[in-house]
Amino acid sequence: MKTRILTFILSILWCAMARAELKWEQTTLELHPAIEDKDAVGHFKYQNTGDKPVRFKSVRTSCGCTVAQTQKDEVPAGEKGEITATFHIGERTGTQIKTVNVETDNPGQAVTVLTLKAVIPQLLEIKPTFVYWQADDAPQAKTISVTAAKDSPVTQIKVTSSNPEFQTKVEKVRKGEFKIDIQPKQTSKPMSATLTIQPENSPKMFNATASVMAVAAAKPMWTPPLMRQAVAPPPGTSPTPASPQP
Amino acid sequence: MARQALLLIALAFVPAIGEAIYFRDRVSWQTPVPASELVTVDLARGWGTNAIWVDARTDEEFQRDHIPGATLLNEDRWNELLPQFLAQWSPDKKVVVYCSTESCNLALEVARRLRNEAQLKDVFVLQGGWEEWLKTKE
Repeated sequence: MKTRILTFILSILWCAMARAELKWEQTTLELHPAIEDKDAVGHFKYQNTGDKPVRFKSVRTSCGCTVAQTQKDEVPAGEKGEITATFHIGERTGTQIKTVNVETDNPGQAVTVLTLKAVIPQLLEIKPTFVYWQADDAPQAKTISVTAAKDSPVTQIKVTSSNPEFQTKVEKVRKGEFKIDIQPKQTSKPMSATLTIQPENSPKMFNATASVMAVAAAKPMWTPPLMRQAVAPPPGTSPTPASPQP
Repeated sequence: MARQALLLIALAFVPAIGEAIYFRDRVSWQTPVPASELVTVDLARGWGTNAIWVDARTDEEFQRDHIPGATLLNEDRWNELLPQFLAQWSPDKKVVVYCSTESCNLALEVARRLRNEAQLKDVFVLQGGWEEWLKTKE
């Protein structure tokens, strides 16, 4: 009994060992780019631990914002290499997860998914980025909160409205935290403004939007279709069914 | 004898269970999108003019083809495109965000930002994405 169990376990281990040829140092990388970085780059290192060369058939990324490059098309036995994945940050925020699908000619390891996790720091976090008033609402001020990144040197922010019909007032709540009170002069006609928020001593600019909505078109009342009524035709004519009312 | 057989069968499951735990994030039936945030093509179409269709793909993919009436809003040009989208939005509208292929998470990201940053309600991700739209195109 013990021999059988041992044989079974050893056979599983042997199968696992025989399958692996392209061994990856890590298949998931977490990157922490700096605030001023435009790209986040991950290096996925591998080694061919098998006794045959491994050929890359395709390397596909999950997003056009990520580009992956192999150093070589074929990896001889015993050789090392890496796939470089470059994620273009653009105007993205928060934690971004992008994948790279690597297809090889090794049937035991046809596709490997490499995962790039980029935690994108924001110099300013703005919430909400959109405030609005419905038509004829009371033109009361609404508040946008601005929080500077930890350890950032932001001590003041400057706010500019693209539309003078919206008034803004900036107040520092505490170190690194601000509030912007924004108020329209009237809400009787639709209008909007882009608020440009700039940290002091930084060329970076952030946006928020304020809008007074247009009056929504009145929707027609829905009435159920009238039941058709059987009407007795006058003598000498064929029956005409009543047409349904909208 | 039966006990030995059962033990061997149980042992045979051990590698499978190990892989299921190790690769749990890659299990295909696990969707990162809660069901309440997904919408089918038929349901979204049924919203008629109350739906705003948002294309989260790249500029090139949008130019090539897109759902009629859709607005482009991607993270490459978020600050530039967001005001244009907001100009079309009103509180009674339902926002339907789509991108290419079921595994694509561009739509998830755009939907997340519209909910978290712009604090819009009724923001949904199109189940099946652009490909599902093409399949059911009238």
